[in-house]
Amino acid sequence: MRGMKMTTENQTFTEKFDLLGCIQCGRCTGGCPVTVRTNLNVRRFVYDAYNEDLLEELSRVADIWDCTACHTCAVRCPKGLKPLEVLIGLRSLVVESGKTEPTVRDALESTFMEGNPWNKPRATRNDWMEGLDVIVAEPEQKVENLFFVCCTIAYDPRVQVTARNIVNLLNKAGVDYAFLGTDETCCGSEIFTLGEDGLFEMLIEDNTEMLNEYQADRIVALSPHCFTTFNTHYPDLNKPVIHYTQLLAELLEQKKLAFKDGLEKKIVYHDPCYLGKQSGVFEEPRSVLKAIEGVELVEFGRNRERSLCCEGGGGKMWVESESKIERLAETRVKDARALEADIIAAACPFCVLTLDDAVKAEGFEEEMRVAEIMEILGELEVMQEKPSSAQEVED
Amino acid sequence: MKIFTCIKYVPDTSEAEVKLDAGGTAVDSSRFSFDINDADNYAVEESVLIKEKYEGDVTVVSIGPKNSDVMIRMAMAKGCDRAIRIEDDRIASYDPLMVARVLAGAIKDQEFDLVFTGCMAEDYGQAVTGVALAEILGIPHAAYVKKVELEDGKLKAHRELEGGLMEVVEITTPAVLTIQTGINEPRYAPIRGIRQAQKKELKVVNLDDLGVPADEVSAEASQIVLEKLYIPVVESKAEIIEGAPEEKAEKLASILVKGGLL
Ligand code: SF4
Ligand code: SF4
Repeated sequence: MRGMKMTTENQTFTEKFDLLGCIQCGRCTGGCPVTVRTNLNVRRFVYDAYNEDLLEELSRVADIWDCTACHTCAVRCPKGLKPLEVLIGLRSLVVESGKTEPTVRDALESTFMEGNPWNKPRATRNDWMEGLDVIVAEPEQKVENLFFVCCTIAYDPRVQVTARNIVNLLNKAGVDYAFLGTDETCCGSEIFTLGEDGLFEMLIEDNTEMLNEYQADRIVALSPHCFTTFNTHYPDLNKPVIHYTQLLAELLEQKKLAFKDGLEKKIVYHDPCYLGKQSGVFEEPRSVLKAIEGVELVEFGRNRERSLCCEGGGGKMWVESESKIERLAETRVKDARALEADIIAAACPFCVLTLDDAVKAEGFEEEMRVAEIMEILGELEVMQEKPSSAQEVED
Repeated sequence: MKIFTCIKYVPDTSEAEVKLDAGGTAVDSSRFSFDINDADNYAVEESVLIKEKYEGDVTVVSIGPKNSDVMIRMAMAKGCDRAIRIEDDRIASYDPLMVARVLAGAIKDQEFDLVFTGCMAEDYGQAVTGVALAEILGIPHAAYVKKVELEDGKLKAHRELEGGLMEVVEITTPAVLTIQTGINEPRYAPIRGIRQAQKKELKVVNLDDLGVPADEVSAEASQIVLEKLYIPVVESKAEIIEGAPEEKAEKLASILVKGGLL
């Protein structure tokens, strides 16, 4: 618990979310992916929330927890509204009353006490580094790329591989980098969507202060959630934030990186909502995959801005949907199966976790697998430069 | 309704490997996270629920370091009204009797109807403090309480017994109740609430302030000497007894007799 500052909230709900701007066109509901499996009707909430007397009652409607914060509604709204934020505003009322689901409560408390939503001690945050040759950042030391790992990648054994493999790649490619120590703290992406504004504000203040102290040219986020959250909610950060796939695309482009081995696989790339439709990073992950010889990159019917949400965001890691209808991630892996893809490549820890579960649920483990892009690259030998102009770097 | 709720800041040992410190009499807690003891969290919630229903006020009492203020602020954000934190290195905090004496020192001269504690602390797991506290205060208690029904001057406590039995006891107030987890669903303390709780009184005191003689609660007074902690060695040893049922029974009996168990 570091800085604490009071915020004043004088705006009404209607003003805060510009509810009067809504023309009830239905573009939001029309694009909302979860409507196929839940009763969520975001347009109705935007309409009803105009009546301040109804807010309390609306906050008790379970549907508000079905939103995955995919942002499709915000992208599609012709009036520039962010319909999902009305739902988040209603969640805030629940959080302020203290009557959250126990799983949500525990995630929030853990973030407040230990800086991560996974109920893990801060002291073990960098255990994923064990056995690796990692450069850990010091505030006064100049560095080009300061890495921000993400709570989920740091603690979840399934996705730690993203961080471990990128360390090996950076070392081999001779990139100027450093990783934050155990004071790396949750970016607040899911804290925001769970509706804990007070905690989110505190994280923004503390993280801004902490990150601004580092003499780094830029921050490289491994998770699209941290990447987008820093870029949209941290106005006072003194350095740019990029996603790691952007760094890799840059290294490939500048011929500072190449992959020696090929991979004869059919790969379909799944655009994470937080990387694609929210931040417009569509091409870099694809160009990284295309740089691997032998890879046949295929596309989902619903790709880029229209990518189907995996339902991993919006705090859904801590709120189980009651719906018995097929999960969107299951629909997604069936689509991948129909494309006869060997690998579904993703660039987000939540996508990897949800899609992985879906592959198991559908019984497709024999036919295909889900892999984080760094997982795929970790299986290839990396060279510092294109073979034509340079010598290989030893393992 | 005046309530005192005793809470403890404990390490969560479920997420990191338990290692002993160099001296071998303490656990190295550098890699643990610390939080309110689980049962105490339910005790806080129960006290706040009662306050909300019957009016009154709740005072949090805790023995612990400055770091634990965050836990105390969270309890106050949930509805507790004030807090006393006792910090004194002289307390033999591994001995629940000494701890109970210190807590009693903070409570005994105050006006109160109920004292809540968790039924057991996750660190030493002794389940003694609350019961000892009642004894020292000279008031009745009920341990492992899963439901409280308040009446005028008395209460019904539903106690969880061994084997899943429930026992209902009626006791007069003031009384100590040691609260079992699951009695309620503890609420979340939003950060804005924690910020507002900064305004509530948190008194930090030592033994002298409480008028508790140090030599009655220190290692010298304690009848427990902590000699050594060790991590149990995982062993597996099984002997399969073969034969007809009567033979098996005979063999088993002779093993038990030889082992001094019968
Ligand atoms: S898309 Fe925008 S304007 Fe249209 S109904 Fe939804 S919130 Fe209203
Ligand atoms: S963010 Fe996505 S899931 Fe939530 S309301 Fe908008 S479209 Fe629906």
